[in-house]
Amino acid sequence: MRKQFKETVMVLSKEDNKIALIFGDVSVYLFNDFKDKYPDRFYNMGICENTLISAAAGLSSQGFFPFVHTITPFITERSFEQIKLDMCYNQFGGNIVSTGASFDYAWDGASHHAFTDLSILRLLPGMEVIQPGSRKELDILMRSQYNNGKTTYFRLSDHPHTIDIPVEFGKGVVIKDMSAPLTVITAGPILQNVLQACEGIDVNLLYFHTIKPIDKKLIMQYSGTKILVIHDAFGLYEAICEVPGLSITYRGLPDAFCNWYGTVPDIRKKMGLDVESIRETIITNLLKKS
Amino acid sequence: MISPCRNIRKNILNIAKSSGHGHIPTCYSVVEIIYAIYSSIKHDPVNPRWEGRDIFILSKGHAALAYYCALAEFGYFDIKKVESFGGFMSDFGCHADRLKIPGIEASTGSLGHGIGLAVGVALAFKIKKTDRSVVTLIGDGEANEGSVWEAVLVAESLKLNNLTIIYDNNMSHSRGLQIHNPVEHFRGFGCNVVEVNGHDVNLLAAEVKNQGPLVKVVVANTKKGCGCRTLIDNHYEWHRRSPKDEEFAKLIKELDDAEAI
Repeated sequence: MRKQFKETVMVLSKEDNKIALIFGDVSVYLFNDFKDKYPDRFYNMGICENTLISAAAGLSSQGFFPFVHTITPFITERSFEQIKLDMCYNQFGGNIVSTGASFDYAWDGASHHAFTDLSILRLLPGMEVIQPGSRKELDILMRSQYNNGKTTYFRLSDHPHTIDIPVEFGKGVVIKDMSAPLTVITAGPILQNVLQACEGIDVNLLYFHTIKPIDKKLIMQYSGTKILVIHDAFGLYEAICEVPGLSITYRGLPDAFCNWYGTVPDIRKKMGLDVESIRETIITNLLKKS
Repeated sequence: MISPCRNIRKNILNIAKSSGHGHIPTCYSVVEIIYAIYSSIKHDPVNPRWEGRDIFILSKGHAALAYYCALAEFGYFDIKKVESFGGFMSDFGCHADRLKIPGIEASTGSLGHGIGLAVGVALAFKIKKTDRSVVTLIGDGEANEGSVWEAVLVAESLKLNNLTIIYDNNMSHSRGLQIHNPVEHFRGFGCNVVEVNGHDVNLLAAEVKNQGPLVKVVVANTKKGCGCRTLIDNHYEWHRRSPKDEEFAKLIKELDDAEAI
């Protein structure tokens, strides 16, 4: 997905000289083309996440469309107050593009795992929160939102799904409607596992790439069914709960650090987010009497 | 005629009394600094959003009352408007809101933010190749924040010689984490550092204008409460206090009697 980030930015920059990249010492080599073409608008500022955000806000105040890019937990958790005050409160909007979603850095352990970003950023007034699941979703959503004056968060993943779906900012997607009593809802790359797990089962399946604003209208259409949220992060479940009166269950991460290393599939299995475990969860919920 | 800085101090005191709010000692340490900045930079009180203006960001946001009174002195708005300071319907809060007040460039309050914003603005001016410049005022207590030093590192690395950082050395830091030699610290970070009397408008104004090839840092030695002996001697007690009637009369008299402000 990082390659798509670069390709989209390269295309946008052909016609927009207000784009400025502020990187925290990641993906620098990947963006060599940009740096060669627009040397005065590419800055590897170093490993100083607070200043990356504050400086981006300063650039925004003078009419630039900044893209701040570095590793997910560091730019979101460490710099939360800078995002809140310098970008959101001051209305100096810009784009925050993180890499290392959920357990993408599985082998690096809990310091590099990212599970709070979507849930904390959606609390900030005026913020847009996007979890693209595929390259296509990233491309469409970045093009439509990057210069709208708001602060927009894009959470990149190294494990995109391969499902081709229609994409429009703020709109949820009906992947399957079986008029079933159970509606499974998910977001981002884990759709790959969820869709496979749903095969041959009579459930409805909704998908969200935009966590904020959440598409309440779509959720309300399924509010008469039992809802099962399956997600490898926090944030989606809480966003869906904005719709009152739902019969809703979350199957995702526990209230515990993930103390394992390995690969993304290893950790998904441990967390019950591999295809088989998700399928079991869906069947159990389907059989459960409300 | 009453001098502008004495007038700003009187307004600060009046408004702190009538509103019940205000960090008077810290406001008094920055009166000359803010006055000198607006005497030096390009700005237009009639058209605060003028595109050719230089940018000032008050990073130590709790000195907002001094900032408002200085902007009023330069004609941005009538001082009477500031009398609602801290009130529910007031535009003039104890920390400034850029979306409410003409001339305020950034909403600050939490320490260690404004200087990073200033770095971004200075970088924007470099990219645009304009000769506009940026001044930010940080406090010595604020310099306990790691983000201040991050921002200085980045400013130096980007060679932002259109940025002037004024360091209000009013000994706020003395009750907590102490910074004994700010001049050497900033020099060690590669900045062009000068140390001046922070209550001398002419010296300050000359240094704000005088930019060389490096990031400029002006270490301004100031006194909390400067102008009133009572505030200088008891600045811990007065940190967030508003004066009672008899205290107010005493402070006004001290201001009237003070020399060279």
